[in-house]
Amino acid sequence: MGVLDHVWLGVVTVFTQAPVATVFGLPISIVVLMVVLGFLGGIVVGATPGLGGPFAMAISLPILITIFGFNPDALLPVLGFLIGIMKGATVGGAVPAILFNTPGTPDSLMTTLDGFPMTRKGEAGKALRIAHFSSASGDTFSDLVLFTCAPFLAITVEVYLDFPEKAALIVLSLAFISAVVGDSVWKGILAALFGMFVAFIGTGEDHHPRLSLGTDALAGGLPLISVVLGVLILGEVFAALEDMWREKRATDSISTPPATGDNRLRLRDIRRILPFVGMSAGIGTMVGALPGIGSTLAATLGYATGRRLHKGDVPFGEGAPQGVAATEAANSAVAGANLIPVLSLGIPGNVAAVFIILATETISGFNPGPAVFRLTPDQINSEMVVAFGLFTAMVFANLLNWTVGGVFMRSMGIMVRIPKQRLLPIVLLLTLTAIYAQRPEMLSIYVTLFFGLVGYLMRRLRFSVLPFVIAFILANNLEDAVRQAFSATGADPWFLFSSPISIGFMALAVLVVVFFARGRGGQ
Amino acid sequence: MRFDPRSLGVAAAVAAFALLTLGIWIPADVESGVVETFRRRTVIGDAMAPTVVAIGMVGAAALLAASEILNRRGSGATLDRHSLAFIARFAAVIAVGLALMSHTGPLVVDAINALGGAIGTYRELRDTVPYKYLGYLLGGTVLVGGAIAVVEQRLTRGVALTGVVAALVLTGLYDLPFDDLLLPPNGDQ
Repeated sequence: MGVLDHVWLGVVTVFTQAPVATVFGLPISIVVLMVVLGFLGGIVVGATPGLGGPFAMAISLPILITIFGFNPDALLPVLGFLIGIMKGATVGGAVPAILFNTPGTPDSLMTTLDGFPMTRKGEAGKALRIAHFSSASGDTFSDLVLFTCAPFLAITVEVYLDFPEKAALIVLSLAFISAVVGDSVWKGILAALFGMFVAFIGTGEDHHPRLSLGTDALAGGLPLISVVLGVLILGEVFAALEDMWREKRATDSISTPPATGDNRLRLRDIRRILPFVGMSAGIGTMVGALPGIGSTLAATLGYATGRRLHKGDVPFGEGAPQGVAATEAANSAVAGANLIPVLSLGIPGNVAAVFIILATETISGFNPGPAVFRLTPDQINSEMVVAFGLFTAMVFANLLNWTVGGVFMRSMGIMVRIPKQRLLPIVLLLTLTAIYAQRPEMLSIYVTLFFGLVGYLMRRLRFSVLPFVIAFILANNLEDAVRQAFSATGADPWFLFSSPISIGFMALAVLVVVFFARGRGGQ
Repeated sequence: MRFDPRSLGVAAAVAAFALLTLGIWIPADVESGVVETFRRRTVIGDAMAPTVVAIGMVGAAALLAASEILNRRGSGATLDRHSLAFIARFAAVIAVGLALMSHTGPLVVDAINALGGAIGTYRELRDTVPYKYLGYLLGGTVLVGGAIAVVEQRLTRGVALTGVVAALVLTGLYDLPFDDLLLPPNGDQ
């Protein structure tokens, strides 16, 4: 079976798996339905200040697994929904940023700089249309790069990397994420080491589960979903609620933004913003392909480069449509490219990718990594079919974005009226219930709350949570690769330096840490 | 700017934790060593990974402390006594909410039995209306309403209503469509 056969099977699976309804005589598959629901839901949560894609993915994943189960047939509906949320939330995040000067997501912060001044000039509709056009363009470009690069990168890794090189590559990825995320290299490294340590509790190859303190609760290891949701979601909920509590204490009020109007997007507007969209899409895609950097930096770089390029009447920061375009194209272009390290190496680079990995770890039949794109003569690689099914779902979500996304996004201004201080406690209960649904014991709730406190403390002490989460997920893969490399090299203690490629990865890991530590003085 | 003592405190705490792990926890709670040789075959033991990580923690904590002292930029940490005050209030709300969630159902069933109802144990009734909803509805209402009340620093009818509606909606969302799904605390009973 060739690559094209797998592509075709992936496309067919997406559009024919378990039809749930018929529209104009055409069967609607469960995957298509889930992508549509995820995309529209993503726009709603993206447009709601205080929420965002990761919140929605975290809450929906346990429910989806409850509905679809753990067998491989669940993969595409669940992944399709998560992809839909990821794309919808990216578009939706611009709505409160433009209409109410309130970024729905951190990467929409730069959108407020020109989006809200446009709103004040009565051009809110135009700003929203520009944001949607730029976001959809950046996202589509990024996806095309993903479809092209991920299979080739995976095949290269599979051909050239053995256990020592794979272990060194994971070390390099963790070093990179630790160094570039947050404002201190050493804090990033400490967060990653702590994440690995937590992952080692209750695991190992001995009869006695290591570091379990002799308790049954720790003997099976800490539940992946409780740790990840605790640190990522509850930590954020606690910190955000405390911020509002402090604001209330200081000002006796919690700020709520005002409302505004509408306008049109014309062909000449598109011509004006196209160079900015193209440049930012390229920047966002490059940034997205590197693990850990994320969409906030992409938006900042896109905006800063756009400002240098801009020679129009309205300067950046005073309501320039090019400013909105540069920001939205850059932050949306991160989404697709971020899946390049996930699908080709099995290494998640951002929070959204963490949930894709969580889904595949929970459901059987798909292990992101180099083996996904391995071709075997006369055999179907079911993982490759899922990968191309996922690409098809992304293309379908993009089509949705180009057709109904703009209209739906512009109707979401109302979401900003939901008070954040009332929404977040509901998110807390929803998250705890979702955790319990997947693992029905109160212990899982207590573990989630404990790691929520850990996530809260990390945020308050300015430790980035992303290195913790990614190291927690990758720790046991790294240990397996190290054990196998050690055995394969005949117990050579220098196995990580046994080939030019692994030496190169290890040297690069050290260089990255030294470079960022010197550049920021460790801060 | 003077250095922030909180970062130094964190570095010291992490280093102390890592040293205790290296000196006490790993030797006492890991069966195999760092490297094991069995029938002339040498393999990595279960102690290797946590040992390397703990040594790395000591090193990174020392470098964090050194960079804080040398650079004196301030860590930007926002953990202060107000944070502790907030967390104490919030933790109290969560503790009360979860306690009500866990115990309301069994207590109500025990009370009915004590009054001569003879309806059976909570375990027998944990999938029966209304018993299966009691703990989640009351605990969920207190959790959501209490958390909002902490942030808004007042308890109004609107806040209480938000808690009730949230608990009811989530009960409907999770329980009505899924037959095999248990609301807290029914899986533990």
